Amino acid sequence: MSHGLDVLARLAFWLVLAPLVPGIINKVKAWVAGRRGPPLFQLYFDLAKLWRKGVVLSTAVSPGHVAGPAIAWVALMSAALLLPLGPAGAILSFRGDALLFVYLLALARFCTAGAALDTGSAFEGMGAAREVSYAILSEAAVITALLTLAVQTGSLSLGAMLAPAAGPGAAVLAAGLFVVLLAENCRVPFDDPNTHLELTMVHEVMVLDHSGPPLAVILHGASVKLLLFATLLVQAALPLGQWPAGPAAGLLVISLLGVAVGVGLVESLLARLAFQRVPLLLTTAFILCLFALLTSWKASTSSEARQGAMNPAECRCSGTRAAHSAALPGESGGKRA
Amino acid sequence: MSPGPLLLVAFLGLTAGTAGCRRMRFWLVATLTGCASGLAAGAWALIAGPVWDWEPGVALGGQSVHLRLDAISAFFLVLLALLGGAGSLYASEYWADRAHPASAPPGRVWWNALLGFMALVLMSANGLHFLMAWELFAVCAYFLITRERHKREVRAAGWLYLAASHTGTLCLFAFFTSLASRTGSWELGPLRDRPDLAPLFWLALFGFGVKAGLFPLHVWLPSAHANAPSHVSAILSGVAIKMGIYGLVRFSGWLPVPEAGGWVVAGLGVASAVLGVAFALGQHDLKRLLAYHSVENIGIILIGLGFALIAAARGDAAWGCLALAGGLLHVWNHGLFKGLLFLGAGSVLHATGTREMSQLGGLWRAMPRTALLFGLGAAAISGLPPLNGFVSEWLVYLGLFEAASSRGPAAWAAVPAAILLGMTGALALACFVKVCGVVFLGLPRSAAAQRAHECGPSMRAAMMLLAAACVAIGLAPVLFWPLVIRTVAAWRPEWNAAAPSVPLTTLGIVHVALALMAALAVAVLGWLVRRNGLARAVTWDCGYAAPSARMQYTAGSFAGIITGWFAWILRPRTHAQPVVGLFPKRASLDQHTPETVLEDVVEPAGSMVMRLSTAVRRLQHGRMSAYILYLLAGVAALALLAVWGGAR
Repeated sequence: MSHGLDVLARLAFWLVLAPLVPGIINKVKAWVAGRRGPPLFQLYFDLAKLWRKGVVLSTAVSPGHVAGPAIAWVALMSAALLLPLGPAGAILSFRGDALLFVYLLALARFCTAGAALDTGSAFEGMGAAREVSYAILSEAAVITALLTLAVQTGSLSLGAMLAPAAGPGAAVLAAGLFVVLLAENCRVPFDDPNTHLELTMVHEVMVLDHSGPPLAVILHGASVKLLLFATLLVQAALPLGQWPAGPAAGLLVISLLGVAVGVGLVESLLARLAFQRVPLLLTTAFILCLFALLTSWKASTSSEARQGAMNPAECRCSGTRAAHSAALPGESGGKRA
Repeated sequence: MSPGPLLLVAFLGLTAGTAGCRRMRFWLVATLTGCASGLAAGAWALIAGPVWDWEPGVALGGQSVHLRLDAISAFFLVLLALLGGAGSLYASEYWADRAHPASAPPGRVWWNALLGFMALVLMSANGLHFLMAWELFAVCAYFLITRERHKREVRAAGWLYLAASHTGTLCLFAFFTSLASRTGSWELGPLRDRPDLAPLFWLALFGFGVKAGLFPLHVWLPSAHANAPSHVSAILSGVAIKMGIYGLVRFSGWLPVPEAGGWVVAGLGVASAVLGVAFALGQHDLKRLLAYHSVENIGIILIGLGFALIAAARGDAAWGCLALAGGLLHVWNHGLFKGLLFLGAGSVLHATGTREMSQLGGLWRAMPRTALLFGLGAAAISGLPPLNGFVSEWLVYLGLFEAASSRGPAAWAAVPAAILLGMTGALALACFVKVCGVVFLGLPRSAAAQRAHECGPSMRAAMMLLAAACVAIGLAPVLFWPLVIRTVAAWRPEWNAAAPSVPLTTLGIVHVALALMAALAVAVLGWLVRRNGLARAVTWDCGYAAPSARMQYTAGSFAGIITGWFAWILRPRTHAQPVVGLFPKRASLDQHTPETVLEDVVEPAGSMVMRLSTAVRRLQHGRMSAYILYLLAGVAALALLAVWGGAR
């Protein structure tokens, strides 16, 4: 019974809290620009409105155009439910669920890109092509990050991989995962969620022909994906497992907020990269994760258990430090497209 | 009770089908009976366990016939029988007498012979008979590939296949004769206490590797698979190339393997996986693209086998077992979804008459069931949950991650292998999004695609059979796990006790839940769309009033970013007539990915051999006096040799 309640509570967490993240990001952007910005709950209003609206479908599309977003949303929610939530742990934890997590994200990508190609629009074809191409590099980075955690903990389930203390390469890992977060969620400097030019978009252009409830599902799924990557990033970098439950939960929430603020700051301060530069930045993210892997490997082979000696105060700032190091490659290549 | 009677029925069924090849229905019933009893025999041997050994005391070629069906043979036999059955059912409609009056009946004979000889390869326990069956099945495949030999490209593909296949068979001759001369017998069996046999592994790797189509040896594979009739492509890709894997698994289990063997196999596997899918992305021909994905999936299988060999050499049973189990399960899975995809591609070819993706598009309207089944196969081959491809890739990943966590020397190979396997998965996903999108979605790009029609019931039934198997392994992997573990135990009996506990029950439950939730979500969203009201409009194309099908993104443009990254090996060739002036008359762009290994390595090597031979041929010119000089020089050389030899 309590297990059922637990599942419901988590479902509520992801369903209800996820749309808050884009709101926070937009507030931060508005604050930096000196504007008032849209309300914090704007996405909730949008979702509620879209949910009731009628649908305009292209004459070219198959039934898969509606099925795609639905399956993608289920895949993203399932991936989110596999993630542990700080002191609460995961609902379902088994050996190898980390890989299921990665492939559920791939399933979502398959459905979104397929639904985009369904319209026959060249713009959506471009967006889908970019999405699946950049995902190759970000998937390499995510697998490397998971390998890092697996080497650190000797475990293959997300619950056990993310629970213990942060490893010695936590800061580098956080930097790499932060870049992956920006790429996978199509934020600046990879993509501009506010752009109005179809030619230059990735995610937004794939959903041009969606409307009504399917668009609501896509927008909600995107916010879940953002929160999911932020949660992964925070738990991979911070030693939440070493803290008592209350402070750990607080720290989790605060650092999630921190990540959202970081994304907002990056978006305010950086220009979007030219498309040719995107693979370079993603390769940088991959290399950062690889360094984290090598560091934790080296540290764990040198026999003393150094993992416990990591200073929590040092790790707390890794969220902002991540934003900082992600900004570096962006600045060097930040030519306006 | 033993598999013997069932195998006899299978043999009789295939033979009766051969004899009655002119009567299609009779052939179909006989062949399906044969395949069903072959499947039953394989499943029996795999589930019940005891090795079936049969020595009738008849000699063939001076060697007494000896057939054996153990778990490894049975594992591959099950796949052969299932795909053979599905292919027969499909062929009855796809390669019907009406459309192909001259080539259909002989095609059925070669088909049955192919199935029979492949089964013999799997069961032969005698090296000589293994070679005979191997050669016969290769020849049968040649005649099946060249069913349409009035076409030049088909003849070229058949010739290339035959040449490559015989290069491999030559190595296998060397392998089996060396084995027989060192052991003194053609009988095959476990000989792991003979370390002097280890170097023979390299011969086997080359010989079986050519058949399996691992990366640099895959030159024959794309054109053969693309030009064969689709049911033949399905069995070639699903089963025939697995005979190479069978050979590697079989002899790496029975014979000692050199120290470097596992590393080389794993390295070749990684190269095949990444480069296979990179080449697939560059293809415009639907079936050629699928053929390159066979190279990729053989790579994934070899990663599993390679790490199992490394584990066996180092005595790490736990992750070796996982890697091999993943590789073996991928043998089944690849057979199932690649068979399904080739049959789907055959339906497209049947309905439109073209394999060029730039001519297709929007086929879901005309052939919704084929589109759905093909989409399922595409999701499965991209390794997406909740389908079977994910289960086997997940097992291989588990093996690699455990190897990496072990932090031994194997970890240095496991880390790059895991990362590259991840990239392979993402590349395959990109490729299959492209295929599904360009072929089945959007608008028809040609009149042929506009006139397409759904395929008939037999063709659909064959595809549904394979799709059902894909779904079954995906949703209930735990049911198939004991079979895989039994095969692993037959490979390394000492690993029997170390069989790892894998949470496949949990994975299966998650998969079922995922499938149910997805179905529910689709139903709810569909209902909501209908309730809220639905309007139709043209696709948004930046305000163009009259969008045309030619404005759609093409396969080449879709893959352009990735093929750009791999241009160092794909070497794409572009013929462009750029836009010139204010009112340009003509502009064109034609891009083509060549067969890099074939055109840049094999062909130059071949022409060098030809040049050398031509140079040597000048020695023969018909002048008697010069020939007498050769004779005298030869005799003098022999005499010198004799004198010199005698002096020593």
